[in-house]
Amino acid sequence: MGMSAASSVSEAMKLCIFDLRRGQHEGQELDKILYFFPADLPFPTQLSVIGLSEGLITFTRIFSPEAPCEVIEAEKHSHVFYEAECDIWMVMVVEKSESEAIWRTAALRSVLKEVHSLFVMFHGSIRALLDREPSGGLTRTHLYYFIMDYLSDFLSGKKLHLPNFRDSLKERGMVQMLTIGREAALEVQSLVRVLESCAGCTQSYSLIMFQDLLVSTTLSPDDLVNLFTYTVMRLTPDALSAGASSWSYLRKGSTTSNASGSLLTSSTSVLDRYYSSRDTSPVGVRSYQVVRPLQHEKWSKGKDGFLVTDIWGTGVGSLSPSSPTIWLKQTEERMYLCAFQHRSLTIILFIPVTSVHNGEQGLPVVKQQILENASSKIIKVEEKLSRGWGGENAYHVSGYRYLLVDGDRYISRASPPGKVTTLTKDSLVAMSKLREEVDLEKSRAKCDGSDCEKDQEICIRAKNGAWVISRLTRGKELYMVLEKANETLLYASEAVEKFSDRYCSGVFSL
Amino acid sequence: MADLSDDDRKPKVGPSTDSIDQSLDAIENQLSSISVVQSEFDSDLDTEEASSSNQDKLANGLLNGNPGADSNVLEDLSSVWRNMSEEMEAPSSPSSSGYAAERGSNNASSSRDIGIEEVDGEIVEIGNSDSFDGVSDSQVQWLPGKRHGNEDDASSSWRKRKKHFFILSHSGKPIYSRYGDEHKLAGFSATLQAIISFVENGGDRVNLVRAGKHQVVFLVKGPIYLACISCTEESYQSLKGQLELLYGQMILILTKSLNRCFEKNPKFDMTPLLGGTDTVFSSLIHSFSWNPANFLHAYTCLPLAYVTRQAASAILQDVADSGVVFAILMCKHKVISLVGAQKASLHPDDMLLLSNFIMSSESFRQLVIEAGVAFEDTDVTVNGCANFSIFVLAFLHVANVSFGVARTSESFSPICLPRYNPMAFLHAYVHYLDVDTHLILLTTSSDAFHHLKDCRVRIEKVLLESNVLNEVQRSMVDGGMRVEDLPADHGSHSGAVSAHLGQPGHTREPSERFAEAFIGVGGPAGLWHFMYRSIYLDQYVSSEFSSPVNNRQQQKRLYRAYQKLYASMHDKEIGPHRTQFRRDENYVLLCWVTRDFELYAAFDPLADKALAIKTCNRVCQWIKNIENEIFLLGASAFSW
Repeated sequence: MGMSAASSVSEAMKLCIFDLRRGQHEGQELDKILYFFPADLPFPTQLSVIGLSEGLITFTRIFSPEAPCEVIEAEKHSHVFYEAECDIWMVMVVEKSESEAIWRTAALRSVLKEVHSLFVMFHGSIRALLDREPSGGLTRTHLYYFIMDYLSDFLSGKKLHLPNFRDSLKERGMVQMLTIGREAALEVQSLVRVLESCAGCTQSYSLIMFQDLLVSTTLSPDDLVNLFTYTVMRLTPDALSAGASSWSYLRKGSTTSNASGSLLTSSTSVLDRYYSSRDTSPVGVRSYQVVRPLQHEKWSKGKDGFLVTDIWGTGVGSLSPSSPTIWLKQTEERMYLCAFQHRSLTIILFIPVTSVHNGEQGLPVVKQQILENASSKIIKVEEKLSRGWGGENAYHVSGYRYLLVDGDRYISRASPPGKVTTLTKDSLVAMSKLREEVDLEKSRAKCDGSDCEKDQEICIRAKNGAWVISRLTRGKELYMVLEKANETLLYASEAVEKFSDRYCSGVFSL
Repeated sequence: MADLSDDDRKPKVGPSTDSIDQSLDAIENQLSSISVVQSEFDSDLDTEEASSSNQDKLANGLLNGNPGADSNVLEDLSSVWRNMSEEMEAPSSPSSSGYAAERGSNNASSSRDIGIEEVDGEIVEIGNSDSFDGVSDSQVQWLPGKRHGNEDDASSSWRKRKKHFFILSHSGKPIYSRYGDEHKLAGFSATLQAIISFVENGGDRVNLVRAGKHQVVFLVKGPIYLACISCTEESYQSLKGQLELLYGQMILILTKSLNRCFEKNPKFDMTPLLGGTDTVFSSLIHSFSWNPANFLHAYTCLPLAYVTRQAASAILQDVADSGVVFAILMCKHKVISLVGAQKASLHPDDMLLLSNFIMSSESFRQLVIEAGVAFEDTDVTVNGCANFSIFVLAFLHVANVSFGVARTSESFSPICLPRYNPMAFLHAYVHYLDVDTHLILLTTSSDAFHHLKDCRVRIEKVLLESNVLNEVQRSMVDGGMRVEDLPADHGSHSGAVSAHLGQPGHTREPSERFAEAFIGVGGPAGLWHFMYRSIYLDQYVSSEFSSPVNNRQQQKRLYRAYQKLYASMHDKEIGPHRTQFRRDENYVLLCWVTRDFELYAAFDPLADKALAIKTCNRVCQWIKNIENEIFLLGASAFSW
């Protein structure tokens, strides 16, 4: 069953990770492959994908040494490149054959970026893993399970649904925030203070979410994006009740998670293939202990309100599961992840592993502290936020379909997915194309080193009469589709102006 | 391709080539180490040897009318040759062709190039974009021909050129490179070929590779591969369109029957066939940065009073009825009149390529200024037969034109119109009536020279009698539409023929009129420039450049902005869009596409939106009012 799923998927998408520093001698080419999806593809085919990628990276360096190959557009496929770490490349190959297969390069690349930075958060950098164990077996095993688990989120039925034109009013790698009133904000603030004191150490961080919207955090923006993404994927109440009809900016429509695992073929045999073809590795794959933080249905809510999982295995000499840990980019430190949930409110504390006495034995103390000191505040905050919460269409602005991105702060807000789906295909394709154009200009401005002041306005009236609009100003971006608008440009401009004044504090107003 | 020995592949250049060679080798190894794909890379890269032997064969075939010549094309052309030779008194050997001589003359004039290098040399980083703003670029004449011929892929200057064009054969043999020596670029060419065929062997076709600011665009046309490597920010669609035109230009010179040469011999070396045509390609590539016809797929007319154009059209029509397929009267790249025989229609792209071919080939022009040397009509020289591709007969004669005595040439040359019929040659009779004005008569018959010459004499007589040539001169001086002259709202003007483009108040002192570069101050509401394309007529009109778009750099930037706007409006999948408004730090651009026309307008970036829209409406009205002066109306309908 696994195999058949994988091969039917293979026609639509390939994803590989390879290391330019490995396998440079004839006969050792396989050594450069760190990951390949679909895993059951014959080696010659895998090597031909990687050979083309390598060839073009080298070729484009002749003219563009600083920024080598980013994308290959062929008649039937797009090859999207991402240099995740120095000399470690990720390449995704997607088909263009069917009518839904209209891609935006940057959107696909952000999938690569996301999976890589999540991987680093849990396992550390790929290079560090390779250095730790030069045979590559450890790295391959970790990448294999991690990416398979990650990709299963895109699976619906037997097909992978990668972001296409229908997602042109979405932005991956961004955080969505809950707008709260002043009073609630004060309550949240005081809760944060209590939580920090519970952690009992100054280097701890907190993350508070309502549904899948951010309420408050003390994390750095980089770390926030990763942890926000992970929380939405696996920890929010919706994520816990996996498969149930859930509302989420990130996940809506893209996945039903009960498909988990179907991408995983008989994994050990797949990984073994890289070894059986060479005889250098004395280490069998099975000997690696694999942590799979993205595995589905592994988190649950305990009686005390704390979220528990056995993903990290069980501690030595104890029956209780080991506590989850992650790497923070900002402090380059391993942290315990301690999550508590009360109804729609999810609270996560990050505590440096080094600061907890007796290793994991110290964590229950922290938890006890939270239950004793913070419960009442948590209940209060949850009630307050629930009362003020406008439901899944809270950020719908009637007449508008929009996406608002603050690139400096990694924050975005968009029309609810349910509303975006009312747009016609033509409007969405037009928006996708417009965004591709804007993406290019942004990346060029970045090459010139003058990105901060890019100021641009594009209003297009498409063939179907819809207005497709983009505005760029001071690191902020606004994309908008107006389908039922009047035909004059002035009317469309005015609509943008109104929106900007009302919802963006006039940032996009002239 | 894995069989290539290093000696074969390495361009024989200095020691500094090692690094590039290694990287090229690496690429090929990366591609070739994967044994799944069987690429039939042609290991015979010793182009010089191959080409010279081919050249010999061709030359022999041609000169002796050898039936064993390489291909049908050659046979076709050698018959042309035979026909032509009847009219030639002293056929010189093909190896001393006029084109080869031209190449020499370009080199000789290279000292004049110096000031221009950076205007069009397009080196990244080196040329500070504003450094030559002080130069009045409109007065600096761009000179066609190969630049930097001594460079190759090992030179860092070569790698930094903003825009490369390559033509190669499917076996990886270089045919043309915009910069550098084709022979030295054999290794690079092989790499391009390897990339294309690697993807092809995987059942796909590579269109575009993007890397930072660079784009590599590929186009495969049967056995001919074309590639462009550019960091000019042009869109993929624009660059692809340029490759299509480059291919079309090659077809115009050789016809598509060259494919048969490759069928017979995949290692066929084309370079000798195109010998000396560098100027044609370089001038086409140069036009990619100034001539909107390239992306609008339309031609533009010289503004003329309706009756004047009618007079020209009438005599051309007369001629067309006597076996001429197309009769075209042009002034520089602007059409004065154009007439096609029944049902024949000329695609704007063909017109562009034909006019580029003629204007970039000095041999069509042959303006001899040696005073005191009297030539008679019958002086015949053989000119510009690059092996076989171009046979130009230049009959020098004295033209007694009222505004000065210039010796102009007439030429008869086989050309192919790729959109009209890519497989066959037409024969073009070209005659310059004055420095810029030239007449092109196209026929299917290779022995129509004398007939066409008679036609020309008739046409020239009528044009002189009806004062058309003088009017043409005047129009050249007066220039086209100027944004400053945009009539006020509800302008109740009569469209008077005498006034300059509907502007009765517009009179200029002769001294001012003869100032070569007119620089205006900009139009109302911050209007800087506009272009209007009539969809039914396949024609466009654009305004003269106005301040601050007053140097070549600015004009090129605006051109590129229009080009981008055009590509954005005409998306292949969902286009064309109806309206587009675009504002950035350089311009406000407005585009409006209807069933009848497309309007592109550029404004000051701070222009008021509402006023800009109003102004666009006024521009459209203005154009409607004077359309019979700025467009060629009633020409045979273009069926595209």
